[in-house]
Formats: sequence, structure tokens, C-alpha cells
Amino acid sequence: MATFPISIQRGSSQHRAFQIIGFALVGALLLRAGLTWNNAGLGKLTDVFIIAIAVTGLNLLVGFTGQISIGHSAFFGIGAYTTAILVKTYGWTPGWTLIPAVVVCFIVGVIVGVPALRLKGLYLALVTLALGVAFPNLLNRYDGLTGGPLGIKSLRYLPPDWTPFEGRKDTAKWMFWLSLALLIVVAIVASNLLRSRMGRAMVAVRDNETAAAVMGVNRALVKTVVFGISAAMAGLAGSLFALKLTLVDPMLFTLVLSIEFLVAMVIGGIASTWGPFVGAFVFVYLRDNAKSFGEARNIDGIGGVAFGALLIVLMFAASGGLVGLARQMKAKVVRVLPKVPILSAPASDTVESAEPGTGSSEPQP
Amino acid sequence: MLAFATDLFIQRSFDGLAKGSIYALLALALVVVFRGSGQLNFAQGEMALVCAYFAQTLTLTGFPVALAIGSAAVLGFAMGAGAERFLIRPVEKKSPIAVVVVAVGLFLGLNNLIAVIWGVDARRMPSVFPNKAEDFVRIGGAAVRIERLGIIAVMLLLVAMLWVLFNRTRIGLAMRAVANNQPSSQLVGIRVGWVLAIGWGLAGAIGAVGARMLAPQASLSGAMMFGPFIFAAAAATVGGLDSPVGAVVAGLALGLIDAYIVGYFTWIGGDLVLPVTFGIILLVLVLKPSGLFGSTRVERV
Repeated sequence: MATFPISIQRGSSQHRAFQIIGFALVGALLLRAGLTWNNAGLGKLTDVFIIAIAVTGLNLLVGFTGQISIGHSAFFGIGAYTTAILVKTYGWTPGWTLIPAVVVCFIVGVIVGVPALRLKGLYLALVTLALGVAFPNLLNRYDGLTGGPLGIKSLRYLPPDWTPFEGRKDTAKWMFWLSLALLIVVAIVASNLLRSRMGRAMVAVRDNETAAAVMGVNRALVKTVVFGISAAMAGLAGSLFALKLTLVDPMLFTLVLSIEFLVAMVIGGIASTWGPFVGAFVFVYLRDNAKSFGEARNIDGIGGVAFGALLIVLMFAASGGLVGLARQMKAKVVRVLPKVPILSAPASDTVESAEPGTGSSEPQP
Repeated sequence: MLAFATDLFIQRSFDGLAKGSIYALLALALVVVFRGSGQLNFAQGEMALVCAYFAQTLTLTGFPVALAIGSAAVLGFAMGAGAERFLIRPVEKKSPIAVVVVAVGLFLGLNNLIAVIWGVDARRMPSVFPNKAEDFVRIGGAAVRIERLGIIAVMLLLVAMLWVLFNRTRIGLAMRAVANNQPSSQLVGIRVGWVLAIGWGLAGAIGAVGARMLAPQASLSGAMMFGPFIFAAAAATVGGLDSPVGAVVAGLALGLIDAYIVGYFTWIGGDLVLPVTFGIILLVLVLKPSGLFGSTRVERV
């Protein structure tokens, strides 16, 4: 088997083995980090998970359904504020506030999705931009509920009794595992959704709306529901963000945050399942390292210049995102052939007719 | 509300028009880029800001005002054309979303570059027009500041120049042709690459003048262009992204709406001006999905 690329069949035992090895490797690395890293390192990885959750939601909407949103900072913020208000004003246990945060964001997302039925491209972007821009102002205006510019403080989520963590000192560890667990849940939900009837309808709407409508896809339903799901994921991330940071204030949820989500999504690779995680990881580390690079040299702004330049370089080197780049490299070594559909013809025939090389299952950008 | 005060109304209208003129200029810059290459240049505001800082530095070293503005416009042109040629065009072929990220990178880079070169403290910028307490003219009983009138005049002058450029010159014809149909323009021998670069350059120059006009009122700082850029983007979209007329009309309208809300609907409160303005924009877009003056594209399926 010295000839590259090696061909393997999707769903075959070889393919399964590769997948299991891949997941085990990532799992082992995360486990090692979770058990041995100090609180600062865990905090940074927790940031990665939280952003990855929000970007997964954004990716469903932008990457797979083709609807642009620059308003996800508002959904993120609504989640964060739902948690903060329920904990502070109504004395809820922090963990339970995640559920209403998700529900509230889903509803707001569906409502925002309604104008999307008529608008396309940059026009839709402007409507979502309006939401992102207006959100901090609304927080300031209704300060009776939100605490205005000062925000809401001291929202610590101490580890519950059933966990192996104890008290304040283990809060960072608890938030790490909680965020990781929820990221895994969100990733599974997203990938199952994409493989469902709904997921195929989403891609159909993205690729050709008219054709999708002709095929009987209910465009209105698909668009609004995906807006809702995407917003709900952003809200869940926002909720975790508030608990991790232990405070919320309007300046945390400006348009800049929406742009960061978009950037993280594109760095990882748009419309790819691993993209959000890779993108969030690279984004958080690039941003923080650029910042400390600037602080070390004690010149205002130099870190930002470096970060901006890196973004541009990254787009020149890998316009399909890092996952896209990895796919290209992988395609030189291993080629995964699509699963053979089971037809009514005899099994031997179907295998023969599936010529190797006709379809690499990886979509070319 | 008590008796309707005409003088106050006139005064607020001119305040709004002056503010709207800045939005209109920036929106025009965005539209000129969009017509050529179908991109929204997220870094437009920051490019303009760099030019405004440059103009301020020149003015401080003793350049005459007109020359400083001219040089800033030239810098704006060079930055716009350079960005198109060396940053946007290479990634444009690969993926449209990558262009957005490159523009965001440019936005972040330029915004921070300003901090590196000029520091983070806000600066004062002298006005181009007479700007003392007694510099106003009376129009219908209202005191209108000369600076406001000057800004409106500059905007009108630039719009007139652009109209002449688009409708009466060869290069303008080429730009309209490229906006209309890129492959066909290429076939009749128009150098599309040059035209696109010139479009971006022109946008950069317009933005530079706009930022220079804005700077004396809002002190020169890294965050100066955020608000105006968002309003300009809104104006460009509501006007219809491919319509220069729409950009100007919508820009002025946004300025007026802003001034009237602040002036007459005080119960709305300062924090809600922005949400209400965007609410109106949303309404317009839902009723007219491709903007007020935008051309509806019919897609063949």
C-alpha cells in the first residue's frame, strides 16, 4: 500500500478505526489538559469551548443555510443576561438558568428570522447588524432590569455537591468540564441536525432557494427555525460566559463580539463540522498572544496590528479555513470514498459499479 | 408639544443635514466600491480615519488647510487602490467570505496602527470653516452655524464632481460598464483591474474628505468612525447598495431622523435613538428588500 493516496471506504472498519483514533487522540489531549493544567490555562480553554459553542450555532446559520448574521453578539448577550438576572434577582441556581437562556434566545432568534424571509445577503446582514448595534443601548436604557452600564456582578457558579470538585478553588475546573460537556452536546446536536431532513433542507436553501422551494422545502420554516437554533446555541454560550466571567455588562456584547465569532468561524473553515472548534481555538490563542506580544513591547496598538496582519496572512494562505487546508493535505494521503448506496441490484454489482476515484466524499471548496 | 417653533425646526434640520452629509459621503464611498466589486469594505471608516490623522499632522506642521485636505485625499486614494490590488483581489477569486475577513483584518490593523503612530489620546482638529461662537447666519429666524453649511456644501460639491465623473468622462463610463457587466466590459477592452482599483481609490478619497469634515466636531480618536461607519453602511443599504443617489438621500435622511428624534421625541431618551433609527431602517427594508433606490436583480434559475 505504498501508493498515495490510499483509498478507504466510508463506513468500513478501516474508516471507523481512523475516526476512533482521531477522537481518542483529541479526547486524550483534552483529558490531559483538564487534569494537569493550572486554572489560567483551563480558563483559556474554557473560553475556547464557549466561543466554539457560539460559532457552531453561527456556522449552522451562515455556513449551512447561507443566512448572514452580524447580530450574534446580541443573542450571546441575551443568554448571558438571562442567566445573570435569574441568578441575581430571582436567586436561581446557576445551572438551571441555562435552560431559560436557551429558550429565550430560541424565541428571539425565530422572531429575528422573520425579516430574513424577505431579505438576502448584505441587506439581511444590515438587519442583524441593527440588532447587534442596538443591544448594548437597550441594556443601558432598561437599567432597572439589567443594571445599566454597571451590569450585574458576582455570579459565581460553585461546583455542585455531586461533582468531585470542592468549593471556590475548583470553580475553574468545574467550568472547564461543564463547558466541554455542553460543547460536545452542541456538536452532536449540530451534526445530527445536519444529517436529518432539516439539515438537507438547510443546504438546499443555501445552494438554490428556488430549487429548494420547488422540491417542497418549506423555506419560511427552515430559515426561522435555523435562526432560532443558532440563536439558542449562542445564548447557551453566553450563559456559560456570564458564569465563567462572573459578571456581565453592556460593553461585553458589542458588535465587536459578533465580528469575532465570524472571524473564528472563517479561520476554522466555513460549513465544516470541526471548523468551529479549530477556529475558536486558533482565534483565542492568536488574540491573546497578540495582546501579550503588544504588552511585552509596551506600545499601544502593536498587538492589534499584529493580529490584523495575521488574519490577512491566514486568509491568503488558507482561504477555506484551517479545516479546509487540513482536508487538502489529507486528500494527498487518504481518500475516503462515499458509502455505497444499497440498491435493489445484487450486492456484488453495486460494489463494482462504485468506481474508485469518482467521488472523494470531501466537498471541494 | 406647545407652539411649533419654526426657527428651532430650521436649526435642527441643518444640524441633521450636516450630520447626514457625513453619512452620505461615507455611504457614497461604500456604494462606489460595491458597484465595482460587489464588496462591502469594512475598513472604509478606518482608512478615512488614517487620512484624517494624516491631515491633522500636516496642518500642525504648517500646511495650508486646502493642501492638507488634498494630500489626505491622495493618501486615501492610494490606500483604497492599494488595498484592492494587493489585499482584496488575491483572495477574491478564492472565496467571497475570505474578503470579509481580510477587510476585518485591515480594519483591526489600521485602527491599531493609529494608536501606534499617533497614540491613544483624543486630539483636537481645527475646523475648515469659521467656527467661533459668532460665526452663524440667520435663515428664517434661525441661527445656522457656518460650519454646518460648509459641510453640506462640501458634500454637494463632491456629489456634483462624482456625477460629472460618472456621466461625462471616459473613465466614469468604464466604471459604469464594469458595475453593469464585468465580463462584457472586459470583452470590449476595458481594463477591469484598473477600473476596480480606481473605484476603491475614489472611495478612499471621498472617505478621507468625509472624515476630515467630521473630525472637528467629534474629536479625533480611534473610535471616531465606528458610529458614522455603521450609519453610513445603513444609509448605503437602505438607499440600495448600487445606487449613489440612494446613498446620498438615505444618508441625509438618517441625519435628519437622528436630529429630530433627539430634538422632538425627548421621551425616547438618548439610549434609544440608535435602536429607533434602526427600527425605521428595518421597516424600510422589509417593505423594500433591495433598498429605496436599489435595482432589483432578476435571477435566472
